[in-house]
Amino acid sequence: MSTTVGRLVRAELKLMTRDPLVLTFVFAFPIVTMLIIGGAFGTSPDPAFDGTNPSHWYVASYLTVVIAATGLVMLPVHLASYRERGVLRRFAAAGFPRWSFAIAQLIVGLLTTAVACALLLAVAAPVYGIPAVHDAWRVAVALPLGAVAFVSIGVLLGSVLPSARAAQAVGLLLFFPSFLLGAGGPPPHVMGSIVKQVAGPLPLTLLTNAVRAPWLGLGTATGSLIGVAVLAVAATAVAARRTAL
Amino acid sequence: MVVDGLDLDVPAGEIVGLIGANGAGKTTTVECIQGLRKPDDGRLRVLGFDPVTQAEQLRPLVGSQLQSSALPDRLRVAEALELFSTQRARDGGELLGQFGLTQRRRSVFSSLSGGERQRLFLVLALLNRPRLVILDELTQGLDPAARRTVWDAIRQLNDEGTTVLLVTHEMDEAEALCDRVAVMRAGHVIDAGAPADLVERHASTAVIRFSMPDPPAQLLDQVRRLDGVREVTRSGARITVRGHRRIVAHVCAALVRWERVPDDLAISQPGLEDALLGLLNGDRDEPAAAASVNGELIGGRR
Repeated sequence: MSTTVGRLVRAELKLMTRDPLVLTFVFAFPIVTMLIIGGAFGTSPDPAFDGTNPSHWYVASYLTVVIAATGLVMLPVHLASYRERGVLRRFAAAGFPRWSFAIAQLIVGLLTTAVACALLLAVAAPVYGIPAVHDAWRVAVALPLGAVAFVSIGVLLGSVLPSARAAQAVGLLLFFPSFLLGAGGPPPHVMGSIVKQVAGPLPLTLLTNAVRAPWLGLGTATGSLIGVAVLAVAATAVAARRTAL
Repeated sequence: MVVDGLDLDVPAGEIVGLIGANGAGKTTTVECIQGLRKPDDGRLRVLGFDPVTQAEQLRPLVGSQLQSSALPDRLRVAEALELFSTQRARDGGELLGQFGLTQRRRSVFSSLSGGERQRLFLVLALLNRPRLVILDELTQGLDPAARRTVWDAIRQLNDEGTTVLLVTHEMDEAEALCDRVAVMRAGHVIDAGAPADLVERHASTAVIRFSMPDPPAQLLDQVRRLDGVREVTRSGARITVRGHRRIVAHVCAALVRWERVPDDLAISQPGLEDALLGLLNGDRDEPAAAASVNGELIGGRR
C-alpha cells in the first residue's frame, strides 16, 4: 500500500505547485505581511515586544502563520473541492483506501509547510535578519507538533465541510482572527484585556507562544507547548476516525 | 430506500445493461457493487467478494467509469495514468492511442472537452486489466464517431473475457452492445433478458406513418377496422397508424387496393426503447412515439 500513498503524494505535490490558492496564501501571503509588519515598528528593542527587536519578534512569529494558512485554508478548500467534484469518489472506486488519501494529505501538508517556512526565513534573513534561537530544542519540538495539529484540523475541516465555497468561508473566518490575535497582529501587551482573553486560548496563539518564547529567549512556554501537543493528538485522532473507512 | 430487494445476476463474460427511468436506482446499485455504498441488507457478491468487507481484494479487479466524478483540474492526462496505474496496468500510451488522446498527453484535465474526459475515464477504467468493468453513462457527450470507437473497444474487451456492466439511457447502445438487459423501476429489476426478448415481450406495437392530403373517410375507416390496428390519428396531411406488427401488411394492402399509394410511407418497428417505455408504463404496450403525437384522434380502440 505504500506505493498507493507514494503515487498519491507525488501527484498531490505536483498539483500543489500549480494551485494559485496555495502559492498565494501559503507562500506569498505570510512573506508579504511579515515584510510589511516587520518593518512597521522599527528594529530598536521595544517594551511592547517584551524588550525584543520588533522585526525579530515578527520573524519568529510568522512560521506559525504558514502552518495556520496550510491547515485552516489550503487543506479544507482542497479536500472539500475534491469531495464536491467527485474526485474522492473516483479515488475510492479506483481502489485508493480513504486512509491513504488522508495520509497523503498529511505528508503533503507537512512538506508544504516546511518549504514555505524555509522560503519565509530565506526572505527574512537579508531584510531583518533571523534572530538567534535561544532554545532550539523547544522550537524544534513545537513547530512539527503545531504542523501536525493544524494539518489534522485541516483534514478534519475538509472532511466535514460540504463544498469548496463553504470551506473557504469557514477557513478564512477561522484564519484571519487567529492570524491577527495569535501571530501576525499586534503584540499581546498592547491588546485590551478582553481581546487578550479571547486571543489567549486560540490554537494559533498557543503555537506561536510555544515557538516564539523559546526562540527569542522570553521563557519556556511549557504550558503553550503542552496545549499544542494535546491539540495535535486530539485533532489527529479525530481526523483519523473521520477518514478511516 | 432507493434500491429494495434487487435481484441481479451478471454472468461472467457477458455484457449486461442496466436500464430504467431516472431515479430507478441504477447508480445506487452500481455504487453498492463497487463498495462505495453499503447495502442495509441482502447478499451481494462481486467476483466472489463482498464489496464492503473485502474492498481491498475486489477493487483492483474492477474498472469503473463513474457518473458525476472528476479528476483534479490541474492533473495532466499522462499524470492521471501514472496515478491510477497499479502493477497489473497495461500500456497506458497504447490505450490513449486507441481512444484518440495521444495528442492530449500533456493537457490538464480542466482543458479537456466533455468527450475527451469521458474517453479518459474509459482509459482509466480499462488501465489495470479489470475482470469486471462498470460503465455508467458510457457515451454521454460523445460525438457519433467517438461513440463507435468506444463501442468497438467494449466489444473487444468483452471478447478478451472481461465482464461488462453498462448503465445507460441510450437504448441503441444497449441494443448494440448488451447480451442481456435488466430493466429497473423504483429500486427493483422488473424484467431482464436479451434485448430482442424484451422487445418481443413488451413492445409489439408497430407504427406506420404516411402523408395523404384529403384521405377518403372510408379508407381511414377501413384501416381503423383492420385486424390488429389500435389507433389511427391524423394531423393535417400526416396519418399515423398504430397496432400489432401484423398491421403492416394489412395497411399496405389496403392502400394499394384504394390506389392511394403514398411516396413517404415509413414503418417503425418497436425497439428496446418501446419495450422500456412499455415496461415502465405498466405494460400498456404504448409505442415510443405515442407520447409525442399531438394529432387529432380519428379512430381507435383503447
